[in-house]
Amino acid sequence: MEPLNEILEELKEISPFLAKLPKVNVFDVPENYFEILPEAIALHTLLMNDEDNNGSKFQKINAFQNVPVEYFNSLSDSILSKIKDINVGNSDKESAETFPLLASLPKKNVFSVPENYFENLSGEIISKLDTKAKSAKVISMFAGWRKYAAAAIVAGIIAISSLFIFNGTTNDTNDAVAFAANVSKQFKTPEQLEAGLAALGDEEIIKYLEKHGSILDNELLIKDVDVEELPAVTDYLLDENTLNKYLDKIDANASVKN
Amino acid sequence: MNNAPPDQELLESFKNPATKEQAFTGIIKKYQEKLYWHVRRLVIDHEDANDVLQNMFIKVWKGLENFREDSQLYTWLYRIATNESLTFIAQQKKRNSVSLSDDENGLSGKLKSDSHFDANKLEWKLQLGIQSLPEKQRIVFNLRYYDEMPYEKMSRVLETSEGALKASYHHAAKKIENYILNH
Repeated sequence: MEPLNEILEELKEISPFLAKLPKVNVFDVPENYFEILPEAIALHTLLMNDEDNNGSKFQKINAFQNVPVEYFNSLSDSILSKIKDINVGNSDKESAETFPLLASLPKKNVFSVPENYFENLSGEIISKLDTKAKSAKVISMFAGWRKYAAAAIVAGIIAISSLFIFNGTTNDTNDAVAFAANVSKQFKTPEQLEAGLAALGDEEIIKYLEKHGSILDNELLIKDVDVEELPAVTDYLLDENTLNKYLDKIDANASVKN
Repeated sequence: MNNAPPDQELLESFKNPATKEQAFTGIIKKYQEKLYWHVRRLVIDHEDANDVLQNMFIKVWKGLENFREDSQLYTWLYRIATNESLTFIAQQKKRNSVSLSDDENGLSGKLKSDSHFDANKLEWKLQLGIQSLPEKQRIVFNLRYYDEMPYEKMSRVLETSEGALKASYHHAAKKIENYILNH
């Protein structure tokens, strides 16, 4: 800073009249200026402790020009608050304009989370994903397929048992019929059938298909099964015992044949 | 300001995300009074000065990362504050060009509308004399007379040679003297 005397001497040379004039502050600031600054509410208390501007320097300037102490104490917070508003985006800016009181309130979260929750969360989720990938049933992608496959197997079992019953001469026939009868007994109602389908695991279905895929050939089934004898779809809707009745009929026919 | 950290320290802290906000607050606290009065003398009205000052510091926040440390923070801040003030005055002038016919830039009108304004008092005549100056001379006079800024620093703030600044100050002081004596 250039010595004051040097500047004063310079002015004396240019204008002795001006050099004699006292430097009086003609400007004033409104009282309670902070009350009209909503941003001032969002003060950083830590920054308020800084008394840099309450010392002798402020007194010196204040003697020259009158400003409330609070104005300079909160100016930095006020500016930071504006910067944050800008960073947050337009929606917050709008809310600051529409609801200055709300906007000026600090956005304090009233909810708490366990210690290190967010630090551990991603790892926890990843570990769960790993475990699931190794052991869990894949439901989402194959749920529909699985249901239809299971239904096909049940239908296949019924059809095959019928096939063997109608043509039954091999040693396997009895086993197949017994198995089919056993299965069919478990699904006497739609609810039981649904539960049975749901209980079937993918591995069971796949194993079954691998083992019995050849005999589930459509052509073979169509050729040997009397389709007309099978209940219509509507029959199932009208009478929930349709399947049961059909199976009883098959049993009866088998008994007659044997 | 005497106890304020050195600029270099504040700038270093600003580079660290953990202390960035604290450093910026330190910069504001260190320079807010000087810059406020510099702006206030140029735009006259407190609310205008407050707006200009806040906008100015927001620009400082955005630009401080690219601040070349071979230049002084003090002069850089003054330059931004001056530019912001002049931009504000230009906008006001444009907006009020129809309504304000008696005053060149409306600033004299603002002075006269001050509740404490007294045309017979020298301090108010001085202010009116300052407002009668061309823009550049007004800034030079304020920086020299009120801020007691050395020409060397002023030269960096206004990017003008020291010789030109001395001449501006000389003309400004003479004009103000004439204004006061003739009003």
